[in-house]
Amino acid sequence: MSVKSSDAQEAWEPKILAFCCNWCSYAGADLAGLNRTQQPPNVRIIRVPCSGRVDPQFIMRAFQDGVDGVLVAGCHPGDCHYSTGNFFARRRFLLFQRIFDYIGIDPGRLQNRWISGAEGDKFAATVSKVTEDIRALGPNRKLRDEHE
Amino acid sequence: MSDPSGEMRELAKKLLENGEVDRIIGWEKGNLWYQSPPLFITRAEETDRLVFDDFAINSLVTYLLDERDSGKKTGIFVKGCDSRGLVRILQDKQIARESVYVIGLPCSGKKDPRQALSSGASESSQVPPAAKCEECLYPNPVIYDVIIGEAVEAKAKGDRFAAVKEIEAKTADEKYAYWTSQYSKCLRCLACRNVCPACNCRECAFDISKPRILAKENNLSHNMVYHLTRAFHAAGRCVECGECERVCPMGIPIMQLNKKIIKEINDLFGPYEAGVKLDETPPPLGTYQTSDPEEFM
Repeated sequence: MSVKSSDAQEAWEPKILAFCCNWCSYAGADLAGLNRTQQPPNVRIIRVPCSGRVDPQFIMRAFQDGVDGVLVAGCHPGDCHYSTGNFFARRRFLLFQRIFDYIGIDPGRLQNRWISGAEGDKFAATVSKVTEDIRALGPNRKLRDEHE
Repeated sequence: MSDPSGEMRELAKKLLENGEVDRIIGWEKGNLWYQSPPLFITRAEETDRLVFDDFAINSLVTYLLDERDSGKKTGIFVKGCDSRGLVRILQDKQIARESVYVIGLPCSGKKDPRQALSSGASESSQVPPAAKCEECLYPNPVIYDVIIGEAVEAKAKGDRFAAVKEIEAKTADEKYAYWTSQYSKCLRCLACRNVCPACNCRECAFDISKPRILAKENNLSHNMVYHLTRAFHAAGRCVECGECERVCPMGIPIMQLNKKIIKEINDLFGPYEAGVKLDETPPPLGTYQTSDPEEFM
């Protein structure tokens, strides 16, 4: 799946990919929808079994294929459906954000949040916040694979 | 440092003769004075070819992976840095401790054949020490069955993260320009992966064709993904042997990324030295603490 568009022709809108864990954040997104909470339409969600499932390779591939930011959302630490998945994810993304910073990509383009299934409002607020953050950073050209 | 070659040959001969090992991996003198390539021997009469001189810089431990299923016992020579690579392979359960007879060699620093060639030197004494040896913290093997020679003092060294801090001080665009200038040189020959003791998977993610992580074409985006992925796979497992950087035909400063990861792991999850103790807890990314830093609330 490619999410590229011709930036030049239309007004630029940030494209954000969200990895949501099935048990918490995806349910949170669902609740936000059920409550008819207003949120920007810039976020595309991929459902994953656990935030611990999210491989840094997925994130790099997303940036290669043209997203401007990535959000990884999972259960609060201690609430993981699989007990410990998000603890591993936490270590992984703390480190990965710093690697992003080190190679010159703004670490704000990779955001992580813990959102439970009951936090529909938090999900909507997070989506709004992340969208605004990425909008402020502008379109991402770094790491983009121009050849496809 | 006295020349341990005599003792090495004697020991290797004895091991092969009494059948304690099936093969020996060491170094021999190459055709040129600045080359000491790896040597594989299975017969006692060949042991006279073994040497350990200034250019025995290659780590030999990844060759153990080639015969990990053969059931043979290998006698292997290790320097300090190599021994940490061996610990890495043993901790990753790629080979059994019983399948290897480890002969330790304290090392006061080796020289890089490439530097010998580029400096125009005509003998070993004119060649500067190899870059990876300048920052050596473990000149003595951390694991061995027998050790040949006297232990060497670790030299007082400067800041091993100096190069990392220099890059950290740049702006985001300067960093990106620096790294793209480096990674655009990459040929994707995979030499850094092949030589890395932490890259010991039976099937490497980059070799899998479905799903394919990397495009076949060589472009900057995929080169960056290759290097970042490899560094991340070795995160918390890299033993700082510097072999990746040594073998890189394009001179990409691979260790600058690996060292950054080591530095951040030390800062985030507490000091950690990979490949030093055999009976150790999992590497930092293979475990967690509930008290880890929380930035994602």
